[in-house]
Amino acid sequence: MNTTRRQLLGTFGTAAAIVGAPAILRAQTAESFRLAALCPVTGAGSPFGSGMQKMILAAAEIVNANGGAAGRRFEVVPEDTQSSPQAGVLAAKKLIDVNKVRAILGTWSSGVSLAVVPLANEANIIMMNTSGAPALSVPPANAKGLSYRYQATNDRFGRAFAEICVKEGFKRPATMAFNNASGVGNTEGFRKAWEGKGGKVVENVVYEPNQTSYRSELQKVLAANPDVIVTGSYLADTTIIMREWFQSGQPAKWIMPGWAASPDLVKAVGAEVLEGVISVDSISNESAPSYKAFDEAYRKAMGGQPGQSNVYAAMTWDMVHVLALAIEAAGSVETAAIKAKIQEIANPPGTQVYSYPDGKAALKSGKINFEGASSVLDFDQYGDVTPDFGVFFIESGKLERKYIVKI
Amino acid sequence: MFYAQLAVNGLVQGLVVGLAALSITLVFGIARFPNAATGDAMTLGAYSGIVVHRGTGSLALGSIASVVAAALMLLGAYGLVFRRLAGRSVVALLVASIGIGFMVRAALGVVFGHSQMVFQLPLARPYVLGGLRVSPLDLQLAGIAALALLIVFVLLYLTPIGRQMRAVADDPDLARVSGIRPARVMLAMWTLAGAVAGVGGLMLGIKTIVAPEIGWELLLPAFAAAILGGIGSPVGAVVAGLVLGMAQEVSTPFVGFTYKIAVSFVVMLLVLLVRPRGLFGRVEATR
Repeated sequence: MNTTRRQLLGTFGTAAAIVGAPAILRAQTAESFRLAALCPVTGAGSPFGSGMQKMILAAAEIVNANGGAAGRRFEVVPEDTQSSPQAGVLAAKKLIDVNKVRAILGTWSSGVSLAVVPLANEANIIMMNTSGAPALSVPPANAKGLSYRYQATNDRFGRAFAEICVKEGFKRPATMAFNNASGVGNTEGFRKAWEGKGGKVVENVVYEPNQTSYRSELQKVLAANPDVIVTGSYLADTTIIMREWFQSGQPAKWIMPGWAASPDLVKAVGAEVLEGVISVDSISNESAPSYKAFDEAYRKAMGGQPGQSNVYAAMTWDMVHVLALAIEAAGSVETAAIKAKIQEIANPPGTQVYSYPDGKAALKSGKINFEGASSVLDFDQYGDVTPDFGVFFIESGKLERKYIVKI
Repeated sequence: MFYAQLAVNGLVQGLVVGLAALSITLVFGIARFPNAATGDAMTLGAYSGIVVHRGTGSLALGSIASVVAAALMLLGAYGLVFRRLAGRSVVALLVASIGIGFMVRAALGVVFGHSQMVFQLPLARPYVLGGLRVSPLDLQLAGIAALALLIVFVLLYLTPIGRQMRAVADDPDLARVSGIRPARVMLAMWTLAGAVAGVGGLMLGIKTIVAPEIGWELLLPAFAAAILGGIGSPVGAVVAGLVLGMAQEVSTPFVGFTYKIAVSFVVMLLVLLVRPRGLFGRVEATR
């Protein structure tokens, strides 16, 4: 084999470039803080996912426009969970190993968050999710306390359901739950709260996904003659259940989580079937200035859609704010240092602040209490927050908010 | 009466599973591999049905669209893929069919999105027949399924092409020696398998919702029914689908709703332990 000097030089040049390249990349990461926007852009979460991702990007721009956090620019790496745990784990692996992100923000649906959180623990990075499963609060999922939840737990949803039952004067509730951590979490949370009030749940049915019919399940629940049926369900199964319930002709009232009893459900089964159904969802911190800023950003990014249409986007907006303020307060991007500051900057006591520049300025003169767009964001020892719940009645196919429940 | 009601509840589910199993068993009997694209042919059928139903308002036209689309899909799969793989191992064909299923599912996801669609049909109160509540829609669906099954069995047992298909299923070599052209038989079989899957998909879509994964998720019970019925036996597939559907529902007072799916597999295990060839299967002669 003949090698000319020119070829040899070329080879050396390329080799040097390859060796040199990572150093340049390393230099960049030293200046910026990389975070992942891991959202459900496709799949069951697709109505929310792209809005969630865009709000992470928009909030990161605000952080960067105000000189970054602890002198670091925020660099966002977007990925799609496809609303599936498998795809979510693959994406998280890539984000951690290839992109070297230092925080994962925006996972939606409990199955995905529960699957991704072990990877965050192993890599020792912060994770922020919008999922409800009670298992996310405690070990093994949250063994290191690195996971922060911006959505109400399913347990809290259950407590809100119980409050509504009291307010509406129901006496004989029954429950129906989709067999997963979130569905059963809703109805178990309800059962505990309701029995704590001295009530009794007359029937309890847990059903399997992907059935062509839920008539036998309904038959069992309705046989107990409940005055209200409380569900922990999703859109697809609720569509089938409501259709079959209506056809059975037996009267009943329903209380459902907002992700099941949504405008899409009205579209699927019609207004007549759903008349009087009560839909419960956590609501954003709508009177706060932080919400106003979020709403403006959301309308701008999503072609005029109101921020109210996506509670999860308000949560991801807050995630970036909390993370940036914690980094600024810590003056460091080490995970342990950030973790030590998150509750300090979000919970009382401290000066109430609603935006990143205000928070950053106020940090110079003392403690702050960031009030988010999604809720007042006071994290308990499990990293969980307690938002307020909106109670919507479906009337002539429209979801009308009647009152707010605080727990 | 309580159990009778549960059995009735299981009936329509059983019919849907039975139709899927019939499609699988037709393919297995003649092309000799488990066709994992059956579920996605059903999904395609459901989507075609819903699109035409929305466009024209006619469920009859929708059903025709379901049948035609699913049949064309399986014919296309045969022409482009399975025919070229003929003679390869069962695993090669099985994996190819899984791949075709993936492609169809992904394409449906891209075209229609992942959010659910539903057939907008009027909801009606049930008929009460001797204490049993039967929904009019279920009766109609059962009628459609019965008609589809009747046509399939007439084709299989009363026409020359049906006789040829059964001959190839029995013994492909002997059939060829007797002057049966395998290509024609294959085309007929794939058309039939696709049409049956289309009807099943339409029923599934009307009963539940239409989403890209609905057919895929039904595949496992359908395989179970095909095996229970005796693989390659059309009558067996339909009967087994009904048996499994009803066994699931009737068992719920004893095992609860969470484990009813396991029950259908326990039934399958028990039957196969006693009768390894399945309900209607024949022992394959060693050649």
